[in-house]
Amino acid sequence: MIRHTVRDSSYLAMRALREVIRQPAFEVQNYFIPLFFFFVTVGAIGNVSGRAFGVTNYEAFQMPVAVLQGVAGGASVSALAMVTDIERGYFDKLLLTPTPRIALVLGRLFADGIRVMVITLVILIVATIFGSGMEAGVAGYVAILLLAGLFGLAYAGFGLSIALRTGSPQAAQAGFLIFFPLLFLSPAFAPKEFFDGWLEFLATINPVTYILEGMRTLVLVGWDWEDVGKALLAIGGLGAVNITLTILALRHRTA
Amino acid sequence: MTSAISATGLRRIFPPDVKAVDGIDLDIPHGQIFGFLGANGSGKTTTVRMLTTLLRPTEGSATVDGLDVLGNATTVRSRIGVALQDASLDVVMTGRELLTLQARLYRMPGNVIKERVSSLLRIVDLEEAADRRVGTYSGGMQRRLDLAAALVHSPKIVFLDEPTSGLDPISRDSIWRYVEELNRDEGVTFFLTTQYLEEADRLAHEVAIMDRGRIVAQGAPEDLKASVGADVVTVRLEDQDFQPDRAVAALQQIDGMTDVRVVRDSVVVYIKDGSSAIAPIVRALDESKIQVEEITLARPSLDDVFLRKTGHHIEAHDHNLLPAEDGKRPS
Repeated sequence: MIRHTVRDSSYLAMRALREVIRQPAFEVQNYFIPLFFFFVTVGAIGNVSGRAFGVTNYEAFQMPVAVLQGVAGGASVSALAMVTDIERGYFDKLLLTPTPRIALVLGRLFADGIRVMVITLVILIVATIFGSGMEAGVAGYVAILLLAGLFGLAYAGFGLSIALRTGSPQAAQAGFLIFFPLLFLSPAFAPKEFFDGWLEFLATINPVTYILEGMRTLVLVGWDWEDVGKALLAIGGLGAVNITLTILALRHRTA
Repeated sequence: MTSAISATGLRRIFPPDVKAVDGIDLDIPHGQIFGFLGANGSGKTTTVRMLTTLLRPTEGSATVDGLDVLGNATTVRSRIGVALQDASLDVVMTGRELLTLQARLYRMPGNVIKERVSSLLRIVDLEEAADRRVGTYSGGMQRRLDLAAALVHSPKIVFLDEPTSGLDPISRDSIWRYVEELNRDEGVTFFLTTQYLEEADRLAHEVAIMDRGRIVAQGAPEDLKASVGADVVTVRLEDQDFQPDRAVAALQQIDGMTDVRVVRDSVVVYIKDGSSAIAPIVRALDESKIQVEEITLARPSLDDVFLRKTGHHIEAHDHNLLPAEDGKRPS
């Protein structure tokens, strides 16, 4: 059963990646939006960030934000692709094969993991060219790529669960839109210590805060296993919730 | 020997209380082409979805190739091929890629997949288009590819849900030929839903007529047609003088008449020994001063069986038919 699940998931992941290669227009926004926000934010705040809240390398401060935006955008594409499969009836065709049903979700998730790592790599290269640097060295880049891939897997589950539950493209897009409140309720633009009390509380219970800070530590400070560990825990928690939601939604659709 | 497909008291109710399938029984032997005939919304697709493990029955049980569709769903899926209503394909893949993925998901050995896919593409006449994206295919080509996808793992039981719906006559004929060949040469059992009487008549060894979630008639097409027990005389009335109630009243007096129905602009008379009845029919209409455009005599068709059993034509479900006693022209 496990062998079939892994094998079939890999076939379906390859199919999902082929979709991306053949429809590049769908992918452009996942590169453009985070880099656009990166440059605009750095341009607007970078000159005052040192005096305002003691961050002199604002490019480095913003680089993980761009990465998370790219990952969330990239991870939402598969929800729309899943809805398209459902609407076209191809999802039923896959359900009619003896493949384990969880492979239909895992295939998409694996593909998302790879896709968001490519998006992340491009963002890291661009941000580095424009001066962000990386205190944790080359291994830091690799660590951010892995964290991004894992966050992509975890976050994609949310959109997939909505797609499976509703079969609606509008609802599936909400999977991406909900990321923005989570991002703005994290220390995306300034350190948490400068937040008002209510905002600091919300940032503290927001898992995106820990993922962001884990990546940011690698970029600005270097290796700090406590922050990286918290990022991994946050991703694990988010993933557990979202993948559970996805499995429940899959059961609902196939009942 | 177990049945290819069987069902007992199969029922599916959708909330709040829509009885899509209302307790049907089936017993289809191996090697048969079984036609499941019904209008839109009669419950055909819901039945297929239950038999192919896509939908849980509300009540009742079903087996496919002797296996319970709920208890052995994965094994059932590995033994059947299914082409659902409307070709359900990934339009971004090429035809060859789609069939290859399908073959892999059916766990076919890697060394036979390439040959099997090429052979199927040849059979469904898609060799030249095999490496083009499915999105560039015509409706008929997509249907043929969908059929090939259903057959890729050489299943012995195949479900086709309205496989020729919306296709041009040439594409329809080519799909009929594949079905006939597979059934004749390889003994494949087909469960074929359709709203086309001609399709059921040409292909099916046995037909079940479905209406409002129930099977209202079942048997070999010839037996069903014989069960009408009369020839069919269709009297098309003049447009300017459309008075079907008067025509019905006149025709009901004729000897041997078993039923009269108003269908669109015509009155359909079921009558024994139709050829001898033409003259009395013409006389009766003439005496009642009813203007007639055309009179035709035919042996009963499945459409007549459908009409007798359901009260409406299969293609004209809701609005083109009124009972004779109503006597009003349909709008």
